[in-house]
Amino acid sequence: MKKERRLFGKILLLLLIVFFYAPILYMIIFSFNEGKSLTHFTGFSLRWYQHMLESRDMMEALYTTFSVALLATVISTVAGTIAAIGISKSKRIIRDIMDQVNNLPMMNPEIVTAIGFMLLFITFRVEKGYATMLLAHIAFCIPYVMLSVMPKVRSLDPNLANAAMDLGATPMQALTKVIVPQITPGIISGALIAFTMSVDDFIISYFVTGQGVKNLSIMVYTMSKRVNPSINAISTLVVVIITIALLAINLLPLFVARQQEKGKSTRKLIVIPAVGAVVFAVGLIFMKNGMTQSSLPYQGQTLHVYNWGEYTGENVIPAFEAQTGARVVMENFDSNEQMYIKIANGEAYDVVVPSDYMIQRLIQEKLLQKLDQEKLECWENLTPEVLGLPYDPENEYSVPYFWGTVGIVYDTTKVDIEDLEREGFDIFHDQKYKGDIYLYDSERDSFMMALKALGYSMNTADEAELQEAYNWLVACVETMEPEIVTDEIIDNMAQGRKALGLIYSGDATYVMSENENMGFYLPDRGTNIWSDGMVIPANAKNPELAHEFINFISDYEGAYDNSSYVGYTSANIEVMEELSGEGGDYEGINAYIPRSGNPKDEVFEFNDETRKIISNLWSKVKIAASNAN
Amino acid sequence: MKKFSQLAIPYIAWAAMMLVLPMALIALYSFMRQGNDIISFSFTLEHYKKFFTDPDFLLVLWRSLLIAVKTTLICLVIGYPAAYYISRCSEQIQNIIVLCITLPTWINALVRTYAWIGILSDGGIIQTILGFLGLGEVELLYTEAAVLLGMVYNFLPFMILQINTALCKMDHSLLEAASDLGANGAQTFRRVILPLSLPGVINGITLVFLPAVSSFFIPKLLGGGQYFLIGNLIENQFITAGEWNFGSAISMIMAIVMMLMMMAVRNIEKKNQGGKEED
Repeated sequence: MKKERRLFGKILLLLLIVFFYAPILYMIIFSFNEGKSLTHFTGFSLRWYQHMLESRDMMEALYTTFSVALLATVISTVAGTIAAIGISKSKRIIRDIMDQVNNLPMMNPEIVTAIGFMLLFITFRVEKGYATMLLAHIAFCIPYVMLSVMPKVRSLDPNLANAAMDLGATPMQALTKVIVPQITPGIISGALIAFTMSVDDFIISYFVTGQGVKNLSIMVYTMSKRVNPSINAISTLVVVIITIALLAINLLPLFVARQQEKGKSTRKLIVIPAVGAVVFAVGLIFMKNGMTQSSLPYQGQTLHVYNWGEYTGENVIPAFEAQTGARVVMENFDSNEQMYIKIANGEAYDVVVPSDYMIQRLIQEKLLQKLDQEKLECWENLTPEVLGLPYDPENEYSVPYFWGTVGIVYDTTKVDIEDLEREGFDIFHDQKYKGDIYLYDSERDSFMMALKALGYSMNTADEAELQEAYNWLVACVETMEPEIVTDEIIDNMAQGRKALGLIYSGDATYVMSENENMGFYLPDRGTNIWSDGMVIPANAKNPELAHEFINFISDYEGAYDNSSYVGYTSANIEVMEELSGEGGDYEGINAYIPRSGNPKDEVFEFNDETRKIISNLWSKVKIAASNAN
Repeated sequence: MKKFSQLAIPYIAWAAMMLVLPMALIALYSFMRQGNDIISFSFTLEHYKKFFTDPDFLLVLWRSLLIAVKTTLICLVIGYPAAYYISRCSEQIQNIIVLCITLPTWINALVRTYAWIGILSDGGIIQTILGFLGLGEVELLYTEAAVLLGMVYNFLPFMILQINTALCKMDHSLLEAASDLGANGAQTFRRVILPLSLPGVINGITLVFLPAVSSFFIPKLLGGGQYFLIGNLIENQFITAGEWNFGSAISMIMAIVMMLMMMAVRNIEKKNQGGKEED
C-alpha cells in the first residue's frame, strides 16, 4: 500500500519535471534547427544564433532587460531595506497603512497595476521610454524587497542599536554596523526576488514603454506572429544566463556560511555583488552610447521611426545608418488605430507610416507638419497612381511608401475558383470552408469586406448599413469558426494551413512567392485600394533627418530592398516594374500589381462618427467569435 | 530608535506617488467622460453602465473567471499530491526538487509560453503523436485547451511551492500523535494534514487565480486573436481602441470582483482555523 503510493508520487514528480522542462528543451533543440520550421528538425546549424547576434532589435532587448533588472534590483534593494527599517520603527498606524499600500501591486491583477502606471505617466506628461520602464520596475520591486526584509527587521532586538548608540556609535554607524549585517539574508533574498520579477516582467513593461524601448518579453510578444527561430536562439541564451545565475546564487549561501565560520564580516558579501552590478550596468550604458566616432553628416543623431511590423527590408535600416551615421530606433504597430493613440498622446516620432484615411485624420487634427518640398528629391520616382489622392491632394504631408489592395488568398488545391467567382467575399459564409478560414484583425478592412459583400460603399455613414455589415460579420464568426489573425496569416498560408483568408495584397505576394499553390482573388464588387505614406508628426524632434529618410526610402535602392523583402508593392515606379517584370521576384504574381479600372474599388475616407461605430462593433465581433467557441 | 522612523518618510512619499496615485487615477478615469482630462473633470457612470448592460461583456468576464477557476482546480489537483510527496522526501532531495520546480519560473514567462506554439502547432510533435495513436488531426493550437495548458504550465509551480512550504512547516510529531491515538491514514490526512496545509493552499490559490483571470498574453499567443478574455478586452481598450475611460472602468470591475473572491477564499481559511491562527 505504502509502496504503491511512493511509486505514484515518484511517477507524478517525474511527469511534472518532464512537463516543466520539455518545452524549454524543445525550444533549445529548435534553436539549432537549420530550417525555418518550428515543427520539423532538418539539420544542425548555428544560423539563428548568427541571425540573433546580427539583429540589433534582439541585442537591444537583451540589453534593456538585464540593465533594467540590475538597476531596478540595486535601487529597490537599497530603498526597500531603508524603508523597511524606517517603517518597522514607525507608529503602528503607519505600519498598517504601509502594509496595505505595499499590497497594492502584489494583490492587484498585474494589468491593473500596469494601467495605473501608464495613466500616471500620461497624466503628468512624462515621456514614456527607458526611464519610465525603470521607474515602474523599481516601484513594483520595492514591496517585494520589503516583504522579505521586514520580518528580519522585526525579529531584531531593538536594544542592540540602542546599545551601539549608547556606546558612542552614530545612528548611521548603528545602522550599517549593527542592523544591516543582521538582516543580510533577508536583503539577499529580497534582491533575488526583485531581480526575477524584473527580468520576468511583461505586462507592466508593455504598458509603460515608449520610444521603441523593448525588453525581451515585449519583443517576443510583438515578434511571435511570424515564424522566427531566432526567438528560440535568444531564449536559449536567456535560459543559459538564468541557470548560471541561479546556480551561483544557490551556492552563495554556502559560501556565506563558510565565510561566517571564518569570522569575516558578511557585509562585504553584499557590497561586492551590488557594486559589481552597478559597474556592469553603467558599463553597458557607456558601451552603448560611446561606440563609434566618425564624420558622417548625422553622426550621433537619432531617428525615431514608427512603422508597421514586417514592413522594412532587412538591409534598409543598416544602409541608411551607414550612409548618414545616424541611429534609427524603429518601433512597430499592428494597426492604424494603435499608432494614432500614441501620436495623439504626444509621443514623439520623426517618421510615421499610416494609411490613407489615417493620414487624413492626422492632418485634420493638426498632428502632422508640412513637408519641406525643397528637401525632397523623390517625386519623379513615384507612380502617379498613388500621388494626389483625396486624403492629401497636393501631397503636402505625405510621401507614399507601399500601396495595394485587400483580397482573398486561397489554396488552389482546396478552393474551387468558381466558388470565389460566384460568391466573392460571401465565400466567408460558405459552409464548405467552415473551420478553414482566416479573418484579419483590422476593424476597417473587416467592415470593408462585409460592406462590399452586401453591395454597399465601404465609406458608408449609414448606421443601418453598418449594422447589417456587423450582422454579416457576426454570422461569419458564429458559423464558420474562423481564426482572427494579423501577420500570423503570412507564414500559415505559405505553409498551406488553411483554405482561404482575407489578406493584404503585399502579404499575398509573399505567400504566393513561397507557395505556388496559392492564389489571390479580388471580388468584382470592389475592394479597398489603400496606400501607406510616410509623414512627419508635428512634434518630430529631427525633421531634417526625417526628410533624409523619406528620400532614402523612395530612392531605387531603398525601395527595391523594401519591396523585394516584404512583398508589398513599391510606390517607386522603376522598382515596381522591375520586380513584376521578366526575371523579377514577383513575375506572374497577380497580387503584386494592384488592380485598376474597377469602378467599385474605393479609397478609405476618414469620418470620426463611423470610426467610433466600427471600432465598437468590431470589438463586439471579436467577443462574439470568442463566445462562440 | 525613534530616529530610524524618519527613514520611512521618503518611501511614504514615493509610495503615495507611485502606488496609491495610479490606483486613484484609474478610479478617476473610470468615472470621467470620454475625452476629458483631470482638469476638466465631469462625472459619469456611463462606462459602468456600458459594461453591465451588455451581455457580451458580462460573458467575457464570466468566461475569464471560469477558465481561471479551471486552471486553479487543475493546479490544485496536480499540485497538492506533488507537494505532499516532495514534503515526504529527505531534506536534500527536497531542496533539489524545489530548485528544479523553481528554475523554469525564473525564465521569462513569454519565452516559455512561446515555446508551446511550436509544440502545439499543426504538424507539431503532439499532433504527430496523436496521429500515430489513431486520433487523427486534432487541432491543438488556438483552442481553449491550449490556453488552459499555457496557464497551468505558467502557474502550477506557484501552487506546488506554496503548499510544499506549508507542509514542511508542519510539526511531524502531530502525525505520530494522530496515529498513536488510533487515526488511520485517511483520518490523519483529513483532520491533521489538510487543515495545517490550508494556509499554503490558500496562498497557492491566490497566486494562480489572480494572474489567470487577468492574463492576456497566454490567450493571445495560444488562443489566437479570436480568443478574448477580460485581460484582452482591457488591453484592447488601451492599446487599439483608445477608450481609456471604459478600459479603466473594466479594470475597476475586475479588481473588485477579484478582491471579493479572494476575501471569500480567505474566509474559508478563517472559519477552518476558528479565527485562532495568527500568522
